Amino acid sequence: MMYQYFKDMADGIEAKILQDPDLPNPRKKYALETARLGSRLYSGNNTVAWCGLAVPFNLLNAMGITSCFVEFVGAVLAATGTADPFLEEAEQAGFVGDTCGYHRSVIGAARKKIMPEPDFLIATTCPCSGGIAIMENLADLFDKDLFVLNVPQEDSEQNVAYLADQIRDMVEFVTRHTGEPLDEDKLRQTVESTNRTRKIMKDVYQLAQNIPSPTDGRLLTNFGLVMPLFCGTEAAVEIARAYKDEFTARVDNGIPGVPGEKLRLLWIQNRIQFNNPLVELLEKEYRANIVSDELNDIFWDPIDPQDPYPGLARRAIAIPLNGSIQRRIEHLQKLARAYSLDGAINPCNWGCRQGTGARGLISEGLKEIGVPVLNLEVDCVDQRNFAEGQLRTRIEAFVEMLHSDLARHRDE
Amino acid sequence: MPKNTEKIGYACAYTPLALIDAAGYTPYRILPMSDCPDQAGQLLHDNLCPHVKRILDRAISKDLPDLHGAVFMNSCDAMRRLADAWKRVRPADSIILLDLPATADDAAVAYFAGELARLTESLSEWSGRNITNSDIETSIEQYNQLPPLFNRLRERLRQGVLAGGSTRMQTFYNEAMMAPFEKSARSLKQALAEPESKDPQSNGIPVFLFGNVLPDPEALTFFESCGARIIEDDLCTGSRLFTPIELGENQDLVLQISRSLLTRPPCARTFDPGQPLKMAEDILTRTRASGARGVIGQTIKFCDPYLDRLPAVRETLRQAGIPLLLLEGDCSLRSIEQQRTRIEAFIEMLD
Ligand code: SF4
Ligand code: SF4
Repeated sequence: MMYQYFKDMADGIEAKILQDPDLPNPRKKYALETARLGSRLYSGNNTVAWCGLAVPFNLLNAMGITSCFVEFVGAVLAATGTADPFLEEAEQAGFVGDTCGYHRSVIGAARKKIMPEPDFLIATTCPCSGGIAIMENLADLFDKDLFVLNVPQEDSEQNVAYLADQIRDMVEFVTRHTGEPLDEDKLRQTVESTNRTRKIMKDVYQLAQNIPSPTDGRLLTNFGLVMPLFCGTEAAVEIARAYKDEFTARVDNGIPGVPGEKLRLLWIQNRIQFNNPLVELLEKEYRANIVSDELNDIFWDPIDPQDPYPGLARRAIAIPLNGSIQRRIEHLQKLARAYSLDGAINPCNWGCRQGTGARGLISEGLKEIGVPVLNLEVDCVDQRNFAEGQLRTRIEAFVEMLHSDLARHRDE
Repeated sequence: MPKNTEKIGYACAYTPLALIDAAGYTPYRILPMSDCPDQAGQLLHDNLCPHVKRILDRAISKDLPDLHGAVFMNSCDAMRRLADAWKRVRPADSIILLDLPATADDAAVAYFAGELARLTESLSEWSGRNITNSDIETSIEQYNQLPPLFNRLRERLRQGVLAGGSTRMQTFYNEAMMAPFEKSARSLKQALAEPESKDPQSNGIPVFLFGNVLPDPEALTFFESCGARIIEDDLCTGSRLFTPIELGENQDLVLQISRSLLTRPPCARTFDPGQPLKMAEDILTRTRASGARGVIGQTIKFCDPYLDRLPAVRETLRQAGIPLLLLEGDCSLRSIEQQRTRIEAFIEMLD
């Protein structure tokens, strides 16, 4: 059923792209690749690995493994409005509502057997304690082998060497399961392709910094989170290029992402994954544009194709959700300056101790550079308690405050 | 400088007490026991582990003894956030956050040894004294005296002949977590020198208690008042902290501390990928070995490492036919007391 769903989706998007093949169609190309990943996961013909977020997916791509972080399932279920029964299933099994909705929905999906059975699992200690616990549960549920990558907090020689060695061990673990050793040439090509994608994505983010921005509150949703899944493939290069072409054309022709853009906002950590009217409210009624997402950034250096393991390790360590909050705040401050932000919204995903747990410190850190933060209380996956009216009121009050700040600065 | 007059704070059972001692400090566990106002949620979030929030509240309210510094372990998201917030609340403290692998394979042990070496360097800097191998060895040998003493006391507890029962046992644990080694060793030896005396609670129903943080001795008294006798525990403020460091010949001492800490009976956050959710089996095995008739799981709210593993514990015990009562608290006695009716009903059912 799920295979057919993703296949139909991919066919439909492909047909739409073909109607206007000369247009860049960035979001369609991105959605197409996401649907293709979905159908590969469910086809039953591929070697599948369920993973943690910080796994070097490009390396797994080089080994021909269809891999994905498990939270993706939660996001897809929420986006399609089908998460509720899976959340309920998890809760009935004892996974309480105080935990992260991504993880509850994944456990529910696995228990209800709508998640494809993996050949093996690779967990990462980054970004969160809940994530690794869920991978342990999934390994038990599927009765499949689990490999763990311990991702250290800081980029030091010792830490990089430790993680690089673990990634080498991961290659052996994968080889043991597939019987296929890693082709070093293929890895080199994959890394080169990753670096190409990286460079274009960097340009994309740079273009998004224009005032007004060529992006809007939807075009780059989940982009920085999902693109690593495609890295190392030509599809990733193509998607990144499509965004670059689209944004370049918009900047050259003076076409803003949000007409009459007045406020520029940063979205902290994850988006709300289910359908909701908040972005539209911001754009239509307040001309407030989410120009930047915390995870839409290139925070890693190019990886050396001749000696890729240290670079792969550094990339995982550099994920903004890893490490100290001070480092994370510095990254947010960097984004705030680069994008000339007026304010930030933190959804404070319910149950996320990693990110929401630092809510107060993050707010203080952005306030230090004059960027006010609106802290919401949302479960980004579980829509059952979505208090739309309340959120609207809080968002309205926040953007009105930003508007009056702006007017005051103009008058000064 | 006389030895062990200054204290280094810590908050996690994976902390290498012997290294802190070797640097001339007293390891002082910052327990989440205080009446400070709730303020930590402002800096972090209200939905965060109350263990961490209460410790931070103590720091905000200056409800701490003089500390020279603090050692934090990256045992979970909440602990990481505690280290972050500590810097904000007590900027003058020397602090260090050590990475703690989630697994205990050889590579993880070697890596954690590197983290312990980093700690040794920092402690050396903080104290201004060179920490020698012989200092470390002496401290290990000292701290290794505690586990056998605790074992003997636990045996008395199991037999119902430890005066003061599990409440007193908890006061011994607390003292050993906070006082200089000599003082706690003295207390344990004195208790063992006492004649065995029948604990009036010894005809309570034997129960195995597992979970994370429950340092208030009164909580144990309370369980007993409900008709339970806690004959064995697996808590991070209980037996889990005092296990010996294996000392092999000619081996790197720090590596041995690393291995011993990572392979001791684990908190839910450490696991063997080769045996997922083995924690549930371990609880079952220990319950059977202890002769307990039922199990109480006492965990605190918002603790992901436990919350996400409790379903497996529940299922394993259910299949084994062992009754389980899960209690969720906030480290306070009050939060346990509120569940009196459930606890009493559970104990009655075991009778
Ligand atoms: S939202 Fe937080 S708890 Fe949930 S998967 Fe992301 S980092 Fe982990
Ligand atoms: S009780 Fe749980 S969440 Fe709190 S510090 Fe311990 S392991 Fe972390």
